[in-house]
Amino acid sequence: MSDYSMKNDIEWAKINEDVLASLESPRKAFWVVLGVCFALVLAGAAAEIYQYNNGLGVALMNNPHYWQTYISNFVFWIGMSHSGTLLSAILLLTHADWRKPIYRFAEAMTFFSILTAAIFPIIHIGRVWDMYWILPYPDQRAIWPNFRSPLLWDAFAITTYATSSALFLYIGMIPDLAICRDKAKGWRKKLYTTLSLGWMGRATEWIAFRRTYVLLACFLVPLAVSVHSIVASDFAMSIMPGWHVTSFPPYFVAGALYSGCAAIITLFVLLRYVFKFEAYMTTEIMDKTARLTFAIAMAWNFLNLSEYASIWYSHDMFEHEMLIDKFTGPYAGVVWSMLFCATVVPFAMAFKKVRHNMWAMFWVSLFIQLGMWLERFQIVSPPLASNHEPWTQSVVWPGLIQLTITAASFGWFTMLFLIFCKVFPSVSMYEVKEMVYHRNKHGQKKLQNIDKIKDDMIKTEEGLS
Amino acid sequence: MRRRAKHFLFATFDDFEKAIEVISDLKRLDAKEDIISDIELYSPIEHPEVEEMLGEFHQPIQRFSFFGGITGAILGFIFAAGVGQSMFTVQPQGGKSVITIPPDIIIAYEMTILLGVLSTVAAFLIYAGLPRRLKKYYDHTVSVDQIGIEVETDPENNEKVRAVLQRCGALEIREETQ
Repeated sequence: MSDYSMKNDIEWAKINEDVLASLESPRKAFWVVLGVCFALVLAGAAAEIYQYNNGLGVALMNNPHYWQTYISNFVFWIGMSHSGTLLSAILLLTHADWRKPIYRFAEAMTFFSILTAAIFPIIHIGRVWDMYWILPYPDQRAIWPNFRSPLLWDAFAITTYATSSALFLYIGMIPDLAICRDKAKGWRKKLYTTLSLGWMGRATEWIAFRRTYVLLACFLVPLAVSVHSIVASDFAMSIMPGWHVTSFPPYFVAGALYSGCAAIITLFVLLRYVFKFEAYMTTEIMDKTARLTFAIAMAWNFLNLSEYASIWYSHDMFEHEMLIDKFTGPYAGVVWSMLFCATVVPFAMAFKKVRHNMWAMFWVSLFIQLGMWLERFQIVSPPLASNHEPWTQSVVWPGLIQLTITAASFGWFTMLFLIFCKVFPSVSMYEVKEMVYHRNKHGQKKLQNIDKIKDDMIKTEEGLS
Repeated sequence: MRRRAKHFLFATFDDFEKAIEVISDLKRLDAKEDIISDIELYSPIEHPEVEEMLGEFHQPIQRFSFFGGITGAILGFIFAAGVGQSMFTVQPQGGKSVITIPPDIIIAYEMTILLGVLSTVAAFLIYAGLPRRLKKYYDHTVSVDQIGIEVETDPENNEKVRAVLQRCGALEIREETQ
């Protein structure tokens, strides 16, 4: 049987076995990828220590280039975090059952993306030791953070999002942790016993669980939208040409969903291969994820074009200059590369052959993510290079320190994600069982209906004859 | 006064149809002889049809979410506005409002969701009865592919209940008196 769709007669015990096996024996590629990621993290740590000792100047940051790849990375990782929880919640509320084999790792992706994003403001401020100043707490100096600043809204929004996403991930995992507890030995047994809270699958537990899960999903959808809108406000509420754009919040939310969907596809292919999930992460699910990504890509492109159009027809000379400079100035290569990766490449997903080819989708998703990273970079850097004051007009490219820390963030995220998938089930066992059970039941009902129709036709024919 | 011992029978079944059958038979027996104190279903997945047969579950989790959210909104706004008020006495405002409505609403919005989520999770733990210790007779096959029915009854009615469970095709029956 081809791997287009999941088998409806797959046994529940087999689902447990397959998923639990992923915790024990991944392919060798797992250790290779983990090793590479760890090396990147070490390189990033070394770069950060060097920057810490010598100041932000070594990262080529100077007035007015005070926001560059660190903030691009921050926006990129916050964006990446969106698809996991947001899509999981939306697909849960719309009863899309194909989300079931992939939502767990998507939610985990959200949590680790936030953890990665949260590192960048700390690195970016330079004076790492003063980072606690952002926390609103009463002190003798009577100095409070500025509640009118979107940067402080970020602190509130990201803390709320990280807490809620972690709880959404954890609550959804409890029934699976109980399955792991029943099978595990040694330290894993202790870990799963503690985390599963004594779950036994009682009806009272299931009912409370389902209600809670849906309610959390209802909270998370508006939360996710607000978080990236607030991140967009970091730019939109300034008076910088190129940043002061009214449509930034929806544009950022669409961009976040877009890059997040691409990340889901990348991790889908990676997990499918590394943990041998071919029976669960099927071509059918990839096809649907790709269609969804394509739709979001079109929405993002529409918002991108409307941003250009609104600037073009605004008759604001500064914004106008900024837009022309983006397409023809020193950062034109970045902008055109972004348009190729995020606008042209996704059209490949319009072809069924591409959607059904895992490795083709892997490369398409990587191109999209590159495009979305460049998109964040071209939002942050070009306006800083062509400010109102002529003395500030200089082009600065990220140096080795910034690029090393950027690469390390990808290593950090992938390392945490892979460790999570090695310790916790990355495919939801109970939800896959539910999916198989309901599909099977509906399949049987359909067969019974067909048999009934056939019987009726035979009776009618007999009556006529 | 000596506490009356609780007696449990725990039977496993290999499909939901049998679970539905056994619950209806047990309910019929209870209606006739009033010998069953409680029936609990254990299953690897949620099954609304079987759960409906067990009767109404009073779990107003959404009320926790609602009141948690409202509390978050009020506390968030008071916090942000209160800080604005306290800053007024020590920092010059330069003609700006002391309590700034749009930013304070954003803080209140985030706090609404944070407290709403936290209170929903608290309600889940309360109504699901978690965390708790595993019962001695808990069967690990329930987390794999079998359905468990736990019946609380008096020891003297043990045989009647056991007969129903066996007639409906129980794979294994365990007993425990606490």
